[in-house]
Amino acid sequence: MQTPAPRFPHGRQWMIITLAALLFVPVACQEDEVCEEVTANDLRIGFYPFDNDEWWATIDSLLVFTLEKPDTPVHDTLYQVSILELPLNTNADSCSFIIDFFETRDTLWLEYQRETHLISVECGFTMFFTLTNIEFTENYIEGLVIEEPYVTNSLDEHITIFVPDTLPGDL
Amino acid sequence: MNILRFLFLIPFLVICNSLTAENDTVFTPSARLGADLSGFARNLIEPETLTGEISLDIEWRKSHFVAIEAGLMQVDVQQETHRYQADGYFFRLGADFNILERSPDNPNDVLLVSLRYGYGKSDHEAPFIVIPDPYWGDHETSVSPESFQAHWLEAGIGLKTEIWNNIFLGWSLRGKLLLTSTSAPEMEPYYIGGYGKSGSNTRLSLLYSVLYRIPMR
Repeated sequence: MQTPAPRFPHGRQWMIITLAALLFVPVACQEDEVCEEVTANDLRIGFYPFDNDEWWATIDSLLVFTLEKPDTPVHDTLYQVSILELPLNTNADSCSFIIDFFETRDTLWLEYQRETHLISVECGFTMFFTLTNIEFTENYIEGLVIEEPYVTNSLDEHITIFVPDTLPGDL
Repeated sequence: MNILRFLFLIPFLVICNSLTAENDTVFTPSARLGADLSGFARNLIEPETLTGEISLDIEWRKSHFVAIEAGLMQVDVQQETHRYQADGYFFRLGADFNILERSPDNPNDVLLVSLRYGYGKSDHEAPFIVIPDPYWGDHETSVSPESFQAHWLEAGIGLKTEIWNNIFLGWSLRGKLLLTSTSAPEMEPYYIGGYGKSGSNTRLSLLYSVLYRIPMR
């Protein structure tokens, strides 16, 4: 007696087999929607010895506050500072910071354009900035260069500030 | 965009077509009208997104189908810091090829290889936004309605089987390649109707459908 050759499974068998397997796909493919992104985009300043942008300078200690809110420091006393992060005002196209180096003070006046940006529907919106102008006093600061005018959620240094030669920090 | 990636499908389709050696009954053209159920299923998992979709395929030649799919999508995300809304439409045009040997018991069941071109157009807005700012104070704003469009290609495989007197159930697993998407840089679309969540140029999705077959002769 001849045994019939196995046949390719037909529609209903395929439907049962594959539908059962595929029912798990939406669950397996579901993405984690917890917001893990940084939503604040601070201005990042690197301090460097004058005429040397290879090595960071290290400021022994400093204090930062603003002309707009002089009683509320942005940063209370910080020690051994090579990189300083400052929050730009999301409610105005300019703001100012006073950096108190304890022996002397300098003021930065920053002007910028603002752009609302959607990070994701889970994380919500953030503000991107484009620096257009910076004025500064030169009591302790010896020079300032805008390295990256676009202040976004990248980790770039936006401004280089040159200060008197101090002990070099690590790269 | 690298459309050449899909060229590998051409010999595959030719081989599949040659395997459908059907030497039996007289061919009867037919059409199927379908409704996608996966959008409603997805809404249970992702309540912020709702899509509805209908389809029409016509078997113009034995095992060769032309297909059109069209639908609407709506997104409404309400969070403590923002609200995002979008609505729009989409359609897909393409062809299906049956690779299943038809049995006399179930002559209308098909296992399909599919190719599609997709287009979607939507408007989205954010009527309420709060950007937290612990030092300067929270910033409140909004984004006015903006339009965006997208074009994509799809390739996939799927099954349609008759469960009762011209009523079919079907699924289709689709790989998607986004060709272009236009939108304002400040607000990328969250969801492209017919394609899926934006943010990636490739997507995999699954459609479940219920269909009615209309004999044409």
